[in-house]
Amino acid sequence: MSERIRILFVDDEERILRSLALQFRRDYEVLTESDPQRALQRLQHESVHVLVSDQRMPGMSGAELLAAAQQIAPQTLRILLTGYSDLDAAVAALNNGGIFRYLTKPWDAQEMAFTLRQAGELALRQAPAAAASSLGEVAQTAAPLQLLLLDDDPQTLAVVAEFCVSGGHRLLRAANLAQALQWLNQEPIDLLVSDLHLAGEDSVPLLKTLARLHPRLLSLVVTPFQDTQALLKLINEAQIFRYLPKPIRKGLFDKGLQAAAAQAQLLRSQPAERIQRLPQAPRDEPEKERVGSLLGMLGRLRERLSA
Amino acid sequence: MNTAPALAKLLRTVQPLSVNTSISAVAECFLQAQHSRFLSLPLVDEAGRPCGLISRYALQNIFMQRFGRDLWGNKPISEVMNPQPLLVCLDTRLEEAARQITAQLQSPIRDDFMLVDSQGRYCGLGTVLDVLKAMESRVGQRNRVLRQALIDLKESQVQLVQSEKMASLGQMVAGVAHELNTPLGYVTNNVQLLRELSQPLLQLAADQAELADCLADPDCSETRLAAALEAAASSRAQAAPELLAEDLQQLFADTGYGLGQIAELVVGLKDFARLDRAMSEQVDLNECIRSALLIARNNLKDKAEVLQQLAELPAIACAPSQINQVLLNLLNNAAQAIDGFGRIQVKSWAEAEHVLVSIEDSGRGMSAEVQKRIFDPFFTTKAVGEGTGLGLSISFKIIQDHGGSIRVASVPGRGTRFVLRLPQRQRAELKRSA
Repeated sequence: MSERIRILFVDDEERILRSLALQFRRDYEVLTESDPQRALQRLQHESVHVLVSDQRMPGMSGAELLAAAQQIAPQTLRILLTGYSDLDAAVAALNNGGIFRYLTKPWDAQEMAFTLRQAGELALRQAPAAAASSLGEVAQTAAPLQLLLLDDDPQTLAVVAEFCVSGGHRLLRAANLAQALQWLNQEPIDLLVSDLHLAGEDSVPLLKTLARLHPRLLSLVVTPFQDTQALLKLINEAQIFRYLPKPIRKGLFDKGLQAAAAQAQLLRSQPAERIQRLPQAPRDEPEKERVGSLLGMLGRLRERLSA
Repeated sequence: MNTAPALAKLLRTVQPLSVNTSISAVAECFLQAQHSRFLSLPLVDEAGRPCGLISRYALQNIFMQRFGRDLWGNKPISEVMNPQPLLVCLDTRLEEAARQITAQLQSPIRDDFMLVDSQGRYCGLGTVLDVLKAMESRVGQRNRVLRQALIDLKESQVQLVQSEKMASLGQMVAGVAHELNTPLGYVTNNVQLLRELSQPLLQLAADQAELADCLADPDCSETRLAAALEAAASSRAQAAPELLAEDLQQLFADTGYGLGQIAELVVGLKDFARLDRAMSEQVDLNECIRSALLIARNNLKDKAEVLQQLAELPAIACAPSQINQVLLNLLNNAAQAIDGFGRIQVKSWAEAEHVLVSIEDSGRGMSAEVQKRIFDPFFTTKAVGEGTGLGLSISFKIIQDHGGSIRVASVPGRGTRFVLRLPQRQRAELKRSA
């Protein structure tokens, strides 16, 4: 008998909570809180597999709640459910709260059910591993990582190069997507730093492909674009690790790289079957095709990963 | 030659006289037709360098003396000339030339001035009248340019006011659209749930109808009756109407409430905009406050607790959509002034001649320097792109046009309080503003 999955919904509108509870009480153990502070207290004492939070609440934003929840209960999968498409909130929820999905209100009942099922599965699989090790210890015994840079901006290069030199990591660069595919087929890559465009090509399909194919790989996106819809897709379909604005702010970028390195070390220490991503499939048809063909082109990477 | 065209145009060619010319000969020269328009004639040395000017005025003084011509006529002109004439270089700008001329010439004007090249050589004469005419036409030109600039400025001001209006309208619409998503979220979900929950109820109704048919039919076979009984019992267990009742009630109540919320927001949006009438006689400012609070709710709810203390107010004449714009602006500013979670207090009260509204926040507050400038157009403390810097200056103008006043009191670190004061009765000639 498998463990019953516990889902905590947080929203200052009680009717949202009642509606969600009624929808999911048959399949899960549903907990609800209308006060984010109380939700945090609850997380201290109870184990929760999936946390779904609203963004705009009095006293604490959803992004803040999810960031605090990540500290208290890192094994809990975090989802933001909001009626506001707000870039700052999405960036904060991703960069500080490490969210699994960004969902919007009104939500589609079936899609929500599907997302929660995926989240529940992942949470069950990851729970024992996350409990076993803490980030700090792993980082101490760090082996060098391999970082692939897909951005010809000299500013990005400067920060990434400095990070690689000081951390003893290996920096690989690709001038175009074909070269990037070559590297990915040849070398085990841990971190990917990428703009959304490389030499005039759209690199988003590659990010989405890698999220499906290569769950250990962590992607950091650096981009001058401020598009909430595009970011939502990157979160849900490419499961990127960080979204960093250009022009680059070195402190923020460095922190992101450090966190990614620590996370990559943690993932290395875990057996492959524990690590899974479950990104949403791309909605956009041409993009879906592109992801399909990229999956083909990365055949050698797939072989190596399944070996 | 590389001279400023302005002065070159004023240059009048006059054959200069030698300083040794006799006074009588110079007087003859003055009488020649081509010299009639000049007040003075130029005198140069052998090298052609300007030495002085001799004016009609000086000669008149000599010849009006008794025996003047006999006594002075044969003397060289150098003895009576003005040895320090006004010299203006040809490449001087017109304004600078005018400045030099007015600084040196005396009243009444007796002299012309000499135009020289950059080496100081004599080129010709210039007259004050020509300079005046040139200056006048230049001033006229400047005026035309200024008038055009003023027209352009007024147009762009109208555009800015309009774009500020559009920006706040857009912000408001986006806010309300997002606000709609919350009730829309649970109403949509609830309808889906009601559909799912009603399926077993319909099944139960069908099975019970079949059972009733069986019971009413004397020819009904035992097996059919047994099957009908079993079906009814199982669908009853499935539907569990006793347990369902509470859920259904809650779902319907929540759904109804959500639809009410959606309707309220839509009506609020319509009330707020009130594009149908600009000026209204009977406006309850409390209605405006409630309307603005409803529209601003999504910007306020995660920033502050809103306390309302609204006293009963006499109806006043005003343009409600404009007053709403002012109130929304003040509420949004209040929310933006708060770090973390704070308090916004909205009060209204009536005095003998006026109706007053105050909006007070527990935010950052403002320094005295900032307070002095907040109503200035384009002054903003917000980041580039976040504010036009026009919100408060437009609010000020709206309240002023209503014959009212807007005052501010602020303590850094404690908060800010705005007080609107509007007259209960409007003057008849009240202006209709933008």
